[in-house]
Amino acid sequence: MSAYVIRRLLSVVPITIGVMLITFFVFRVVGGNPAYRIAGKNATPARIAQISHERGYDKPLFLNFRQFPTQLLDAQFPQLCSNLLRLDFGRSFVTKQRVSTMLREGVGPSLCVTTPLFFIELFLGVGLALLAAYYRNTWIDRSLVLLSVMGMSISSLVYIMLAQYWLASVWRLFPVWGFESPRYLILPVLVGVIAGVGGELRFYRTVMLDEMYQDYVRTARAKGVSSRGILFHHVLRNALIPILTNVIIAIPFLYTGALLLENFFGIPGLGRLTVMALFNFDDDVVFATTFIGSIMFVLFNALTDIAYTWADPRIRLK
Amino acid sequence: MSTAPEQPQTVTASASPEGLWTIAWRQLRRNRLAMICLTILCVYTATWVYAEGVYWSAKIRGAVPDYKISHYENRNQPPSLPHPLGTNFAGRDNLKQLIQGTRIAFELGLLTSLIVIPLGFALGALAGYFGGKLDSVIVYLYSVVASVPDILLIMSITYVTRAAVERSAAMQSVTRYIDAGLLSICVGMGFTGWVGLCRIIRGEYFKHRERQYVLAARALGASNASIIFRHIMPNVSHLVIINFSLRFPGLILTEVVLSYLGIGIAAEPSWGTIINDAKQRLWLGNWWELAGATIAMFFLVLALNLFGDALRDALDPKLRIAEGKTA
Amino acid sequence: MMPSSRLLALLSAGAIIATAISCGPVFTSDSADKGNTLCRVGGDFKGFDPVDAVDVESAREVSYVYEGLLEYAYLDRPYHPIPRLTQGMPDISSDGLTYTFKIKPGVRFIDDPCFPGGKGREVVAADFVYSFKRVLDPHLESQGDWIFAGHVLGADDWVKEIGAINGPVDYSVPLPGFQATDKYTLQIQLAKPYPQLLYVLTMCYAFVVPHEAVEFYGQQFRRHPVGTGPFRLKSWRPNYRLEYERNPTFNGQTYPSTGEPGDRAAGLLDDAGKPLPLVDRIVEYDIREFYTVWQMFLGGRIFSSGLSKDYFEKAIAPDLSLSPDLVRRGIRLYKVPEPSTDYIGFNMLDSAVGVSTDPVINERHRKLRQAFASAIDVKKYVEVIFNNRYMPANSFIPPGVAGHTDKPYAYEFNLERAKQLIAEAGFPGGRDEHGNALRLTMILPGAGSTGARQEADFYEEALRAIGVELIVQQLSFAEYLRREHDGETQVFWGAWIIDYPDAQNFLQLFYGPNKCPGINACNYQNPAFDRQYERILTMADSPERTALYEQMADMTTTDCVWALLDYRLEYGLYQPWFQNYKPHGFPYPNGKYYKVLPH
Repeated sequence: MSAYVIRRLLSVVPITIGVMLITFFVFRVVGGNPAYRIAGKNATPARIAQISHERGYDKPLFLNFRQFPTQLLDAQFPQLCSNLLRLDFGRSFVTKQRVSTMLREGVGPSLCVTTPLFFIELFLGVGLALLAAYYRNTWIDRSLVLLSVMGMSISSLVYIMLAQYWLASVWRLFPVWGFESPRYLILPVLVGVIAGVGGELRFYRTVMLDEMYQDYVRTARAKGVSSRGILFHHVLRNALIPILTNVIIAIPFLYTGALLLENFFGIPGLGRLTVMALFNFDDDVVFATTFIGSIMFVLFNALTDIAYTWADPRIRLK
Repeated sequence: MSTAPEQPQTVTASASPEGLWTIAWRQLRRNRLAMICLTILCVYTATWVYAEGVYWSAKIRGAVPDYKISHYENRNQPPSLPHPLGTNFAGRDNLKQLIQGTRIAFELGLLTSLIVIPLGFALGALAGYFGGKLDSVIVYLYSVVASVPDILLIMSITYVTRAAVERSAAMQSVTRYIDAGLLSICVGMGFTGWVGLCRIIRGEYFKHRERQYVLAARALGASNASIIFRHIMPNVSHLVIINFSLRFPGLILTEVVLSYLGIGIAAEPSWGTIINDAKQRLWLGNWWELAGATIAMFFLVLALNLFGDALRDALDPKLRIAEGKTA
Repeated sequence: MMPSSRLLALLSAGAIIATAISCGPVFTSDSADKGNTLCRVGGDFKGFDPVDAVDVESAREVSYVYEGLLEYAYLDRPYHPIPRLTQGMPDISSDGLTYTFKIKPGVRFIDDPCFPGGKGREVVAADFVYSFKRVLDPHLESQGDWIFAGHVLGADDWVKEIGAINGPVDYSVPLPGFQATDKYTLQIQLAKPYPQLLYVLTMCYAFVVPHEAVEFYGQQFRRHPVGTGPFRLKSWRPNYRLEYERNPTFNGQTYPSTGEPGDRAAGLLDDAGKPLPLVDRIVEYDIREFYTVWQMFLGGRIFSSGLSKDYFEKAIAPDLSLSPDLVRRGIRLYKVPEPSTDYIGFNMLDSAVGVSTDPVINERHRKLRQAFASAIDVKKYVEVIFNNRYMPANSFIPPGVAGHTDKPYAYEFNLERAKQLIAEAGFPGGRDEHGNALRLTMILPGAGSTGARQEADFYEEALRAIGVELIVQQLSFAEYLRREHDGETQVFWGAWIIDYPDAQNFLQLFYGPNKCPGINACNYQNPAFDRQYERILTMADSPERTALYEQMADMTTTDCVWALLDYRLEYGLYQPWFQNYKPHGFPYPNGKYYKVLPH
């Protein structure tokens, strides 16, 4: 068991390096010298050179052969790696704040929105999927599927705008904007659920229908177990594995926050932080959120595998 | 007749592609919903062709297309007979804007696919067919790309591509024909979206390379390239179409978000820019712009989703789980 | 047992704990909005360092907590500086080179852990020397260094010396132009007369900061303002909310008792003599969606709403008065002129529109620029793009600033004339002798925004009317600035907001030596203009100088360096319970004068 855990955890390392490479490639190689974006107004060539120098953008990208071999690693990528290993994401050039501080401040508000959103969506999605699976191929199932696909066909931007207009400003049921008390969270969560539940329902329904055609279900039915019994005791139980995989993989997204919701409803979380950074050309912040989101995804993926093995050692053999 | 049939069809992915498509078509024909969706898609495609005609005929004549001419005296008009969806801030007919939006949406889908399909297919085929070290490298590559949250990766690539396109003098001749925003969105979504296709194609080549017909071809001295392209490809190409029809709606919805974030399309009326422009006037009671764009998007995305599902069920029901959540 | 349910239980427990932990302390409280509090919409704000207060938002936030030697009088017009942290206005030597300031004794920085014992200390003349050196310090990259550089005696040498130092900067290196002759006496020595000095000393760049705070907080200094201002920072959540509270140690300043005629009748002098600030608390929300601002304004949560053009039609009747239902609610409308000019600039070094050594071509290009300017119907532009909120410009010097004239603009929209000019420029009907359309490229910032799309369409159509194919590239702001500074432009949209009420601030945009990468983004080179500019630099305000300003304005008009667009005019709506508001061209520190009635 422990050998497996170690092996699985070690497999995280190359993926992490890959993620570093890809984010590095996008921001420094494709994007060119960020100093141009940072320098902004009144940027003299001297200023750009100075920023490049201070932030090390004038160094070679991967390895420094100019000062071989003493300073071989004095290049952009090795330095980025060593900074990231020390969890140092640098300093936002806009606010001159440590990026890690900005991220820490944003996590709380993001979780306040995404956690309830996530659970309501999950339970509603699984519940409706059970309903659809139970009544499969009746009008109930069909209308649920059609409704969910219809729901998925409208831009979430439109949901947000309509909800803000009708629910918040015309009917005055909720505050329009802000993050002052839990009351302010109701509307963003509600909109998030409406916009997202369609996709969840459709996915879980597929999962359950797949289980329904397994041999053990046929056996159970042959033994005379009631439809409801099959659904709850057999199908749901076995569908839990794919459901949980889906759930755990979604956890990093709790952290990265909901970009649009946070931005429209004034939630000072990571989603809003990322969007603002994008507007301000704050490369280091966009880089950090992208990187952390990815690393969490990789880690949670590994943890899921390990957790399964811990829960059910047979899985390892698959 | 349902969106997801009860029994997983035991479609034999035989060596005869006609058989596969004939069977699928027969099944689709019985699916009334799928047929309705197909009709809707045909209407959209016709609209797209028409919009391209309007755009290119003006471009070739060196004239300004009709949809870009302002009539400021007529701005923000509610729906009326000459303007069934009203007019926008510059007095341009909203319906014409939406028709051009259809063009942008299709161009988005096609340009993105120009990156996704060659990249995803080639890497998937190489990995699946040859296996071994090459396979490990490609699997590693797509695991890495899949690890970065989609929207963040799309945003980042689009954002840096946009900056690079703006800065590069060479790109300015390109952006005279393709909107700089459209180009960077396509690059962003293209280099993010190939993973799904690559996974599926890899799996298929993996299966097919041990099939009788492939072994036979190899025994007859067919080269690897010929096996990959001439023998196996016809048997897996339907997956590209399924993948496209299921990926397309996501592209359209993402464009709206990117336009909202200010890294979308700059100078052409896409649905995303129409929605974002309409946002500012909705609260004055000008609902027709938002409603028009939302409805135009709604039916295309809905039809693509439902038809994509039906097509998948008809062609290859086993794919359902492998794809994971769509949209 | 069922393995998956173990997992599910674990997961749920984890999530619930995470939520509980994260939700506990994260909310700010609603209660701050109640009571004697001023709530408003802030904006994109980067940090409390006076040397970085380059934009309007930063200038306002910094002015709540920091102060300088001088400030503009609140009610008087024309704008003139009055003492703030000095006793009376400075003594100016007869040659205009030495300014002596007497610092007010007893002014204290707020109590802060950076001081020994946590108690704020008294402000002395040496603090100003320190703060002024910070603006010049090249390591801090302040964009405000121009207020002293080139003017103050020895400033340029000091910058060179300090710039050569790698590592911590030693501000004890003397700078002859800034002298603290005793505890309360500050002397500024100029290299040559600089009549704008009194204006620039009202700017945030010249505000006083204690060296203890800079040293104690280091990089965190921008988050921990330690000033003498009327307020002190209570909390700041970036991208969301700022809260200030009354500074208990604020050095007694009282509400002004004089103003313009009419101010008394308007009730602006009712609070004369009352100690400032008049509100206990200021809360600012960072809201970017205008719709949200509007809803919060109607709901009474914020005191003012700037009017975005799309809301304009709803709130303002066609005659530019307030709509009846807003009048009924007691909401007032103010038109606030922003001393700024929007224009379209031509790069004079460009081979198609710029100057040429060949006088024939030179003249043709001048005609081309004039045709461009005459082709733009600014009245219509202002009407359809800005709902008539802005005023068409007739001189690059905005109204209210000496040098502005009421002469009609030389290139007012006239399609026939534009067509004639473009023909004279060698492009009859917009085509050259080979029948090829003239193609020009213009750049515009704000890519992706609705406004940029609308403006781009407008310019393209306007030029199409005279047969010119204009391509408007919408760029991200950073890229737009980069091209402007590197001179990689042909035609560009530009705007300039005046820094102080003196047209010299505009004229510098045409001064030859300021060419790219300087602020003369048009690369305009005119020896006659440059000579006059050098003359007015040292002149104090006088009718003679104003006449020179007008002459120089005429030179740029003849050469058509800019195609003038508009003067900005901000329309703001104000709640009835919001009092003591008077529009001001430099309104940054005015929060202390505002009053909020119970509502």
